[in-house]
Amino acid sequence: MSAPQGAPHPDEALLRRFEPVLRCTKGDRFFPMDVEPYVRACGLWVQRSGEEAVRVVPGGGLTLETLAQQPLDSSGAVHFLKFTDPRDEPEGGSGGVGALRERAVRGLKETREAFRAGRGRLARVGYISRFVDALYSITLLARGRVPGEAAGAAAITYGRVMEEREDYRYHGRVVRQECWTVLQYWLFYPFNDWRSGFFGANDHEADWEKVHVYLAETEEGELRPEWVAYASHNYTGDNLRRRWDDPEVEKVGEHPVVYVAAGSHASYYAAGEYLTELNLPLPRPMARIVRGARGFWRERLGQYAGEERGGGYFHVPFVDYARGDGIVIGEGGDRAWEPPRVISEPAPPWVSGYRGLWGLYARDPFEGEDAPAGPMYNRDKTVARAWYDPVGWAGLDKVPTPAETHEAALERLGDLEVRQQELRSEIEEKAHRLRKLGVEAAAVRGRSHLDGRGRETRRRIAELSKELDGLRARLAADEAVAGSLSEYAGRIAAGERDPARTHIARAHAPASETELRFSRVAEAWAAVSVSLMLVIFVAIAIFEQEHLISMLVVSIAFFAFAEAGFRGRLVNLVASANIGLAAVASLILLYEFFWQLVVAAVLVVSLYVLWDNLRELRR
Amino acid sequence: MLEAASIAAYGAYEFSRVDWRRIASSREAPPPEVVETLLLVLFAPAVALTLLSALGFLLLRRRGWLLAAISQGLALGTGLWLYAEYEPAYVFPIMAYAVLMILYLNVHDVRAVFYPGNRRGGPQGPRRLA
Repeated sequence: MSAPQGAPHPDEALLRRFEPVLRCTKGDRFFPMDVEPYVRACGLWVQRSGEEAVRVVPGGGLTLETLAQQPLDSSGAVHFLKFTDPRDEPEGGSGGVGALRERAVRGLKETREAFRAGRGRLARVGYISRFVDALYSITLLARGRVPGEAAGAAAITYGRVMEEREDYRYHGRVVRQECWTVLQYWLFYPFNDWRSGFFGANDHEADWEKVHVYLAETEEGELRPEWVAYASHNYTGDNLRRRWDDPEVEKVGEHPVVYVAAGSHASYYAAGEYLTELNLPLPRPMARIVRGARGFWRERLGQYAGEERGGGYFHVPFVDYARGDGIVIGEGGDRAWEPPRVISEPAPPWVSGYRGLWGLYARDPFEGEDAPAGPMYNRDKTVARAWYDPVGWAGLDKVPTPAETHEAALERLGDLEVRQQELRSEIEEKAHRLRKLGVEAAAVRGRSHLDGRGRETRRRIAELSKELDGLRARLAADEAVAGSLSEYAGRIAAGERDPARTHIARAHAPASETELRFSRVAEAWAAVSVSLMLVIFVAIAIFEQEHLISMLVVSIAFFAFAEAGFRGRLVNLVASANIGLAAVASLILLYEFFWQLVVAAVLVVSLYVLWDNLRELRR
Repeated sequence: MLEAASIAAYGAYEFSRVDWRRIASSREAPPPEVVETLLLVLFAPAVALTLLSALGFLLLRRRGWLLAAISQGLALGTGLWLYAEYEPAYVFPIMAYAVLMILYLNVHDVRAVFYPGNRRGGPQGPRRLA
């Protein structure tokens, strides 16, 4: 069973041994809680396509047992919980929508007082990102979104729940997959107020976050932690996980430390402020053209083409503040974990039976403002990978446990040796056949009545020769790999381990001290520059039509240089401007001296050929 | 250095060919050739920056690369503007030289000598938000 009361679950001791320590950020108002009081406070709603949302169970009428019974289920129906519903507020006194709004605004003000954003997010990115950000904010007006007072109302309801019983709890699950024992710590927050509280991308009711600890059995049969993986804004696979002995993984005894981002509750390994960018990809044909041009510029011309950034060319910037200066939950912290709610197998009905959303369904086409589904499901009701394949979710499916590594290397070596033997036999047999064909080709040469047969033999020789070449190349490569594997197996047997961080292609990196020391002038510049630039463009278009082009060029150059100066990107700007000028100048030179250039090119080629031939003659 | 010396030498040669007394005494506007010669002065900032960048290159300072890039950009910008307005013959070799220098300065290996950090791929942001 999954209830936190009563006799402890057999997996509980293991979960408690490695339970994480959460270091929250000052100003955050929501902390991991048990689902039971949350569900009790919620109403259940259903949204069917083309209809208004209908409340099927009012607030206070739900339990974890009844949650899985979903009435009015039909194709396209979305069930969702609603944590804050003014209709559930008690009548009179402190109740009512107006009073609720007033208290919500007060709560938000308190958050803003406790939390100082520091260097503005807009000062950390360029013009295009700022333009796109402005557009993104405008789309919020048109998209479905969580109402403004929802965060404050949720804080009030959460406060009421905590007043009844202060409770910090996680939901634990132990999964045994292949040779790994995975400890899943599911952290449930009643509200994500990243947008309204911390200038982030979205707000939504309910927030499920997860921390995984991967244990492997030693030769003595003891379970030892090998890896951890923290969920964080769509980082996936290898980039999510860190090895237990990685210095980046901070620990209190055997408890990994998680830095929780304010509002978004994303998990980080180190304290800091993380620039997170929502990438908007270019349309596919345009992206192909840009990629091709970039490749030609870099590979063929050997030119510097800037750093690769995955995912797109337009980025909306947001900052995740995971400062770790708020309350600490867990071992040695300000608050202790309550005994966890263990999710055992088979999963309890509130996990497996309820496929709806755990908070308000805002009908946001980008889904950022919609509440998430439970630990087992995605929003579209499919089963989440972190649930059915927690090992593959962190890219660990290709990694053997330390006890298995040596054996796996030897097994692979054995496979290769068998294959090499097969290849050698095949090569021998085909080489023999090739020689016989060679003799046949020599025998029919110069016999006119056997011309047809000779041609056929030569074709077969060419084919067989090519095939043989491929087999020998494969054998050579296999021999090299076998040598490497043998050496690797030797190193593993001697107790050596791979470097801890080679699997990480894209690490979470907080803003550096230098980046955070950005001046107020630069922040002010970031805040006003986009609007100022637009106003100046309009003024030029109205008042300086005679010198429109030159004035636009001068003003763009001014803004570009000021921006590059503030952001320390002067070198890149100068290089880009130069390349643009060089392209224009090259076209002009080509236009002015086309035939002269053609003649010069021909002369250069002929001189080169002459020089090459003379050099050969002198040898 | 070569660029600075060439522009300075060419400027000196063109200036020596002009009869400045006759132009000073004449009340008419100077002929276009004289204006074009005078406009060579516009390359002075680029020449000065080129000399400074040569010093930076000798000392292998990062600023050497930046100054060289700015000076070539200035020379090219000035050349393009002169081409659009007066089209003097001397802008073409200057433009051709500046184009070659810009491509050379932007070659990955040359740039990496002064900005080794650019060789590494920096950390990238996540693809999209949850």
